[in-house]
Amino acid sequence: MLNKIQKNNKAQISEIMTWIIATIAILIILIIFISASSFLAQKTKTVQAQNLEIDFEKEISLLDTKTLIAYSFASESQRNIIEKWEQENE
Amino acid sequence: MNNKGGSKIIAMYWFVILMIVAGGIFVMVSSFYNHPYDIREIEGEIMINNIANCLSYEGKLNSELFDEEGFSQEFSENFLENCHLNFEVEESLNEEVQYYFEIDFYKSENLEISTFNIFKGNLNLVAGYEIQEEKEYEREVKGVEDSFFSLDEKGEELYLIKILTIIKKTEKNVK
Repeated sequence: MLNKIQKNNKAQISEIMTWIIATIAILIILIIFISASSFLAQKTKTVQAQNLEIDFEKEISLLDTKTLIAYSFASESQRNIIEKWEQENE
Repeated sequence: MNNKGGSKIIAMYWFVILMIVAGGIFVMVSSFYNHPYDIREIEGEIMINNIANCLSYEGKLNSELFDEEGFSQEFSENFLENCHLNFEVEESLNEEVQYYFEIDFYKSENLEISTFNIFKGNLNLVAGYEIQEEKEYEREVKGVEDSFFSLDEKGEELYLIKILTIIKKTEKNVK
């Protein structure tokens, strides 16, 4: 019996070794996610009107509305000026 | 062999892993949400809208803009009061004014040369706006430009009005 125990050279990895490898894997994943979230946060979070979901059929720029109203009261030559300027600045 | 003690050690280690993961999640969330949103562009657009509403109504310029000699200097000097604009900011920001706006009026005969000009606020912000295209200074200030047409009170003269607003408030919008 004792000879059998002495000749048994099979190595057994303990449960602790499994946890050590799991810890390393968890730490690596955490570092990746923390780095990614820091990188995303560094990009300035700019809020622009164009990014908002606005129904443009109902929402029109206030200044464009003022130009439209002026256009409706304007003479023929003044309308041509407005049209020309709008075309050049589109 | 007696391995009963091994399971007790692993149970403690399980809580350590949980704390590490929870700490990691906390760091991720706080680093992301600690960065503020930059709303200066929207703020600039709102300022432009308020200025435009003060200058023009129903397609015609405000009658108080003009006096007997043309554009009224008095209206220009008291523009903030006349248009109910307030440049005061919270005390945490520097004492310097954080806003600037400039209004140029162009007659329809010549849309290249400004006939009249109104500007209020911190002139130093203009330099920051001019170098905004360089990546190093793009967050320093935010400027918004827009323009519209309007007739004078009698409807005889057509004017192009260009409005430029510049806002600093870097500490509140950028980290």
